[in-house]
Amino acid sequence: MSESNFSRRKFLTSAATIGAVGAIGVNMLSSCSGPKKTAVALNLPPLLEKAPDGPPIKVGIIGCGGRGSGAMINFLDAGPNLIIYAMGDTFLDNVTACREKLKKEKNMEVADDKVFVGFDAYEKVLDSGVDMVILATPPHFRPLHFEAAVQARKNIFMEKPVAVDPVGIRSVMASAKKAESLGLKIVTGTQRRHQLDYVETYKQIMSGAIGEITSANCYWNQNQLWYRNPQASWSEMEYMIRDWVNWQWLSGDHIVEQHVHNLDVMTWFIGKHPVKAVGFGSRQRRVTGDQYDNFSVDFVYDNGMHMHSMCRQINGTANNNSEFIMGTEGKSNCCNTIWNLQDKEKFAYKYPLDEKGQPMKNVKMNPYVQEHIDLITCIRQNIPINEAEQTAISNMTAIMGRMSAYTGKEVTWDEMMNSDLKLGPTTYVMGKVGIVDKAKVAIPGDANQG
Amino acid sequence: MLKKIGAFLRKNILLLLFISFFIGILATIIGNKAIEYTSTDEFCASCHVHPHVFASWKLSTHYDNKAGIKVHCVDCHLPPKEHGYLVEKARLGLKDIYGYLTKDSAEFNWEAKRTVEQAPHFTSKASCVKCHANLFPLTLKKEGQDAHLYYSQNEATLECTNCHLNVGHYDPKAKHTSNSEFGKGSGKNQIIYTESTKLEKFASFTEKVPGSTISFNMVAIPGGKFKIGSPQTEPFRRADEGPVKEIVLSPFYMAEVEVSWDEFLVFYGKTKRQGRTSDTKSTGITEVKGAGGAGEVDAVSGPTPPYGQPDQNWGLGSRPAITMRFATAETYCKWLSQVTGKKYRLPTEAEWEYACRAGSQDPYFFKGDPKKYSKDRFWNKIFGADTTNINRYVIYSANSKARTQQPNAVKANPFGLKNMLGNVAEFCSDWYSPDAYTALSDGVKDPKGPASGTERVIRGGSFKSDPAEIRCAARDFTRDVDWMKTDPQIPKSVWWYSDCNMVGFRVVCEVDESSGN
Repeated sequence: MSESNFSRRKFLTSAATIGAVGAIGVNMLSSCSGPKKTAVALNLPPLLEKAPDGPPIKVGIIGCGGRGSGAMINFLDAGPNLIIYAMGDTFLDNVTACREKLKKEKNMEVADDKVFVGFDAYEKVLDSGVDMVILATPPHFRPLHFEAAVQARKNIFMEKPVAVDPVGIRSVMASAKKAESLGLKIVTGTQRRHQLDYVETYKQIMSGAIGEITSANCYWNQNQLWYRNPQASWSEMEYMIRDWVNWQWLSGDHIVEQHVHNLDVMTWFIGKHPVKAVGFGSRQRRVTGDQYDNFSVDFVYDNGMHMHSMCRQINGTANNNSEFIMGTEGKSNCCNTIWNLQDKEKFAYKYPLDEKGQPMKNVKMNPYVQEHIDLITCIRQNIPINEAEQTAISNMTAIMGRMSAYTGKEVTWDEMMNSDLKLGPTTYVMGKVGIVDKAKVAIPGDANQG
Repeated sequence: MLKKIGAFLRKNILLLLFISFFIGILATIIGNKAIEYTSTDEFCASCHVHPHVFASWKLSTHYDNKAGIKVHCVDCHLPPKEHGYLVEKARLGLKDIYGYLTKDSAEFNWEAKRTVEQAPHFTSKASCVKCHANLFPLTLKKEGQDAHLYYSQNEATLECTNCHLNVGHYDPKAKHTSNSEFGKGSGKNQIIYTESTKLEKFASFTEKVPGSTISFNMVAIPGGKFKIGSPQTEPFRRADEGPVKEIVLSPFYMAEVEVSWDEFLVFYGKTKRQGRTSDTKSTGITEVKGAGGAGEVDAVSGPTPPYGQPDQNWGLGSRPAITMRFATAETYCKWLSQVTGKKYRLPTEAEWEYACRAGSQDPYFFKGDPKKYSKDRFWNKIFGADTTNINRYVIYSANSKARTQQPNAVKANPFGLKNMLGNVAEFCSDWYSPDAYTALSDGVKDPKGPASGTERVIRGGSFKSDPAEIRCAARDFTRDVDWMKTDPQIPKSVWWYSDCNMVGFRVVCEVDESSGN
């Protein structure tokens, strides 16, 4: 009796395991040996509320603008014994502002001889005795900086996107593999993967809550982003870098620069990249630069599944920053809720309650801090974490969509992996870049014949 | 008696156990020693009577390297322990003993065994990656990164030996890099032609390539009628060889032999470009509108340097040029037309078959029966076949020694054309379609094949082909994806195939309509 019971239980466990494994995907099989290990099998970060204490981690900031100085504070909020040790930026005013912010908000100072300015500042920061770097320059420079940081054997926090063109993506993929064999710890600024409501929803979906995924959508439609006008004292290079979110070669266009977040959620939940794309896009109201301000792309996966992506940066239009996936047995917004096919709620993430006992709108931990907690935890407890390749894949997806919209043609993943497209100048000096005026904005297709 | 033994056994059970345990241990030790002994380089050398492999191994990076590590025969030529080492060792051991007793190793084609096609039979990928576990060491350069990234996304179809072919046995001629020196220094000496040959009448002539020392023979092929394809009754016939249709062809000139390296390298030397920036298959992404539109042939841009050794180290000279892609052959014709002032191009499939048959409607243009030649037939495998006649006219699997041969190794067909069958397969200008002949109407003049397609027709079979595949009517086509499998460059070359060494081409020249010559 007991033996048959045992067998039955064993069978049920096995069946559950097989189910879970099936849902997770074959590539994760090796690390999955039972339901208890699900978190590891799903490749999730540790998600502690505070990084554990340990020997000091000296950090260098490469790129001290808005995101760099923001990431600096997020990093310091993540746990004890963390030190900002060096700083580098193309411009002096950025470093100065960043030092002031550090002094004001954290009462911490960086020595004068650990502050570097210019295009080669990244090399000096890497050489200054830091244990880890935060890479937060405009994305054009990321492949170069990432490669140098890996060669210098540093742990790395780098912001998305990780490149603006296929040549850059391949460089990042290769550096990521080198970093992996060195055991470096890398987190990439795709903070939704560190956001507890997303993570809990992801776990549900991976254990089969919506069945097989049959289609997906993602959106980042918002108001106009910032821009800067040229100034007499600025060279063309300086102007472009200060206005970087409006220039293809610096930002990769907004489908890459911003929408990569949503596309990364798609890569994460669907578990693979699309194989081709046909996209539309145009420039309606952008003020400076050579980018579009709207994209709409139909991505197709190897099994024929479609994923539609939309992004826009125009004032006075319908805004939406979200994802949606449809399955054979339900649907989800990826973020916090799962419904069955009859729109009945199957799962809702329980947010913490405020003083009045009402559920709050956000997760307890700020995801921008959480990603640093996860990185530091992994460094101090020697847990493997390397997000570079997965982010490069989402990033390449965005580039594929952009190239399809720019050309009006169907663009395949293989073409992207084989493309030698490299944007921007090959050497960096303050001066003429050969400015691309508004007339050079990409125009898809061929001209009408008379 | 039995009882006694039984009693003895029971009494001495411990002793017996101990003895069997001891024997077991001894057997294991001896077994291991035997395996060790039979796995030494010296033991391998005792039977493998081909001393050159030891010399080339000692010159290779697997013997002489910075790390001072010596890699032994069995490390590469047997799979690792967990991949069936012992089974493979036993199998190969038996095979080697059989070979040692019954064959003469001097007759083996050792070079053929070192090709990309055959190498995986002797070196397992598992053995490579057992030691080379990290494909992305910090020291890896950009080219290596691209190549290994490509490998990591196509592991199922690629072997390590696709690129690293000569790492175990040194080959001084092997190239594992972009080959910018390729073809340099050829074509010097003698008189440099200043102008091409003027044609006075419709007759065979020798074309001179202006600005070079190179000339080649063009054969006047009279116009006429013939039946394209093969009858249902022809041995080894495939469905794409029918239905048979009658075709009318205008006169044209066809090169006596396939384009040689000497001829090709003049073109390559005069048109090639350094670097790879424009060596990109247009994805419609980096394309510049308006540059070099249709009709602009003023400056023909030719191939970028190849990756590795396009002639496979078989030699250049009058051997047929190989491994170029279709577009390269077309560009060659465009260039040749420009420098000679004549209209050179690739033959259409109909022209090719008409010229090959030279009046014959049999399987070959000479007397012969494919059934009697083909190794596909059990009978021929056992008893051999009388191949005297086919050997006179064709370089094919049985007589080629797995490589191309000089054109003078064979006799011409009745038109005076050599190597129409065998040696290298030849590009035709037609798109391939299995039912191309269905679309032809009987009596059609100068057909050009389907209007569009994905692969090009290649005809005539090659040095690798069985007699069944080198019949006049046998059709074949390019495999663009498979034939670019190894190329580790990103983007892949648009000029050179990396995995096809059996295709070349032959030019035809159109008769000038105004003069009739």
